[in-house]
Amino acid sequence: MKDRLKIAIDYLKSKGASYGDIRYVRTTTENIKVTNETVDTLAHDVSQGFGIRVLADGAWGFASSAICTQGEMRKVANRALQIAKASALTQREKVKLADVEPFVDRYETTVVTDPFEVKLARKLDLLLGVNKILTKGSKVRVAESSMDFYRTEKMFLSTEGADIEQLITESGAGYTATAVESGEVQRRSYPNSHRGDFGTGGYELIERMKLLDHAERVREEAVALLTAPVCPSGPRTIIIDSSQMALQVHESCGHPTELDRVLGTEISLAGGSFLTLDKRGKLRYGSKIVNIVADATCPGGLGSFGYDDEGVQAQRFDLVREGMFVGYLTSRETAPILGERSNGTMRADGWNRLPLIRMTNINLEPGTAVYSDLLADSDGALLLDTNKSWSIDDQRLNFQFGLEAAWEIRGGKKGQLYKNPVYTGITPEFWNSCDAICNRDSWHIWGVPNCGKGEPMQTARVAHGASPARFRNVMVGVGQ
Amino acid sequence: MIGTDKIHSMLKVALDLNLGDQADAVFLGSESGLTRFANSTIHQNVAETQSKVYFRVAIGKKLGVASTNSFTGADLKRAYKSAAKIAKVQRENPHFVTLPKPAAYPNIDTFFDGTAKFTPRQRAMKVKSIIDRAGRKNCTVAGSLSSGSGELAVVNTLGVNAYQRISSSSVNVIAMGATSSGYAEGLSRNVEDLDFRAIAGRAVDRAVRCANPVEMPPGEYEVILEPAAVASLIEWVNYIGFGSKPFQENTSFMAGRLGEKITGDAVTIYDDGTDPTAIAFPFDFEGVPKRKVELITNGVAKGVVYDSITAVRGGCESTGHALTPDASGEGGLALNVFVQAGKSSLPEMIANVENGLLVTRFHYINGFIDTPHAVLTGMTRDGLMQIKKGRLKGGVKNLRFTDSILRAFGSVKALSAERQLINAWWDSLGCISAPAMHLGSFRFTGQTDF
Repeated sequence: MKDRLKIAIDYLKSKGASYGDIRYVRTTTENIKVTNETVDTLAHDVSQGFGIRVLADGAWGFASSAICTQGEMRKVANRALQIAKASALTQREKVKLADVEPFVDRYETTVVTDPFEVKLARKLDLLLGVNKILTKGSKVRVAESSMDFYRTEKMFLSTEGADIEQLITESGAGYTATAVESGEVQRRSYPNSHRGDFGTGGYELIERMKLLDHAERVREEAVALLTAPVCPSGPRTIIIDSSQMALQVHESCGHPTELDRVLGTEISLAGGSFLTLDKRGKLRYGSKIVNIVADATCPGGLGSFGYDDEGVQAQRFDLVREGMFVGYLTSRETAPILGERSNGTMRADGWNRLPLIRMTNINLEPGTAVYSDLLADSDGALLLDTNKSWSIDDQRLNFQFGLEAAWEIRGGKKGQLYKNPVYTGITPEFWNSCDAICNRDSWHIWGVPNCGKGEPMQTARVAHGASPARFRNVMVGVGQ
Repeated sequence: MIGTDKIHSMLKVALDLNLGDQADAVFLGSESGLTRFANSTIHQNVAETQSKVYFRVAIGKKLGVASTNSFTGADLKRAYKSAAKIAKVQRENPHFVTLPKPAAYPNIDTFFDGTAKFTPRQRAMKVKSIIDRAGRKNCTVAGSLSSGSGELAVVNTLGVNAYQRISSSSVNVIAMGATSSGYAEGLSRNVEDLDFRAIAGRAVDRAVRCANPVEMPPGEYEVILEPAAVASLIEWVNYIGFGSKPFQENTSFMAGRLGEKITGDAVTIYDDGTDPTAIAFPFDFEGVPKRKVELITNGVAKGVVYDSITAVRGGCESTGHALTPDASGEGGLALNVFVQAGKSSLPEMIANVENGLLVTRFHYINGFIDTPHAVLTGMTRDGLMQIKKGRLKGGVKNLRFTDSILRAFGSVKALSAERQLINAWWDSLGCISAPAMHLGSFRFTGQTDF
């Protein structure tokens, strides 16, 4: 395969492309889902192909194919060149790329237990075992447990001399109990909603989750929510659990710091960003204890890799430092606008897609609070746990999140349970109301396997490290 | 295009291995191009040739699924064997009885050669015309224009042999002024039916009219929802309520309420994959012909859509709404949704509003808050306007809504006679055909800064 890719790169050079790269990707996927003790999804997929990206006449062209022959690569290269020339019809300024060292390297996820070598029967036994506990003698009408595994082999070659191979393995699992009674539907999930938790690594990640140990609690909490009162509305002090903090970071910091959004190129679908260029280094995004970094080097994070899909090495850098907004996620095309080099965030969700600026591991750095002390210091606050719904405006300012459960904190402990909690706010006001972030003992990096962006829609696997945090005077509920 | 005979021969090579009691294969192929533009310039222009084969093997009541995008005989056999291997270690699915039997399909014309062959240069020229039109009104534009073709085949060991080729084209345009934006879109199997000039004109006109938006407080308003806004609500309502899975799991607002009045008299919603006025497609991913299904008729909950497995569980027949084999655990899903038109028009509706809002479209809706009551939340976007004394007054800063759609649709005052085809996430296999809707009450619960 490598020889064919090299010939394609030579062909692009011979046709006068000012820049070109070819990316071969082969992805193996296994999805398993058990619903009410029936295995309703057990699917294995292999997808391979290549994509060629070229700059000609100062404009981009991209074409891809699943047929990995030399002849097809030449045909696709020509198509990409034709497309670039068509793109140039409306071009105002020629695309300029930031310099990058042409790396020749190989990167591989550290895997202890290859998930594709673990017997299916073992995986099914675990998921069925969880299901059995969730459905046991209770009002749980729907018990869903799932596992997902991905192995992605990538080769990236460019006309500048890059030659990078990567082998990335990702694993995840989770479950949800849905209790139903008298027109009421309530859910609890473990370790997180939306198919659970994910990371780069092997089956050892699944074993570490200790899925069986939490099933009984999840079932009982789902049932208890059926008769719990609706969460009261009004401004409150809230403590947000670390998995919901991950999504809060995702929606209100991760997406708005994507420089392509800031520059307007995602406006037609996902929208723009309130973090405009004039705000960098000037906007107080959050309180002084808020530090948010992008870190693609973070071990085990679902957004960890060796190189992005432009051949830029994985990096760690600040987005928010002591509450000040200081950085963007960039690409080779967008970084020069800031007078910088790319910080390596361009990824495509397959061989057939153009790389876009994507989150890596966007982490809220741990604070200093001890979790038990925070609860003891928060009498009357609401503890909000596990995401249920999410929505944010197209500039990433007004957000509203729904949670699976809320507890009122009394005497340093969980007190009254409430159903259907919702909180809402405006991003900078919200982050400036943060007065406590728990320390590393409560910090966890949560995998988000379904981040959508772009047209055609691409689904990225990203992650967010976070610990529970406290916010003051946040609007809970929608006043109805 | 590979064509039915060649696809059938390719799939037969694997199916003839006969490693199970029954098996089916789904072939999906596409050649598509998409041109994205923003800041009035093309910034992405892509082409893709993609195909996928899913094999599903049944051993008794045990089902295994495997898929590949490689069409060498060896890889197809490997995928088929993987499906059989998975089936062997599977647990029995009590609701699986048999794969569907052969059936006749309606003859629907879903392919237009000019759309399949629409070139990157043709797309670029159309985009240029949109950019030029917006520029004359001092607006910049962003959006995308896609065109392409595809083919879908379903074959099974009981003799099902379904094949359909399709073409599709769509365009969406956001026009932006200094303080406002406007939106319009178009969708058709035939790119020649898309009136790019009119679509660009609508987006630009809305942006210009919404300049310098004013702030209005959250609260309950009389609203007119344009077709794109209606469709985005229906997209979520469909997902949480009209499929067999949420219905059977009792999480749907339809569960236990068939025959009951759940919303306004004027609201009739149905699914019809055979209606050529929308994005028709004659069969589902199990090769079952699509039936017209009444979902809500005159405000009364009438039914949901099924695939073959959830149909067995429901004691009925599949309605032809199965998804791809890897998603078969999700049950049936309506992909060709129609909201029945009324007799009004947008100008008439506006004339009948004393004090209210006109919504061009919504952004980032989420419907998981309270599914039995169909509570949705989301933001307005690209053209929220105030209506005062029967006239459009000007732009309003965007608002967040949180409301039960059943409650809101219960206040329907009028529907437009004209419907528009609106793209949904399931893309070229269907769409939502929606009129504009005049609601007496819609709850806005928050506001933003633009």
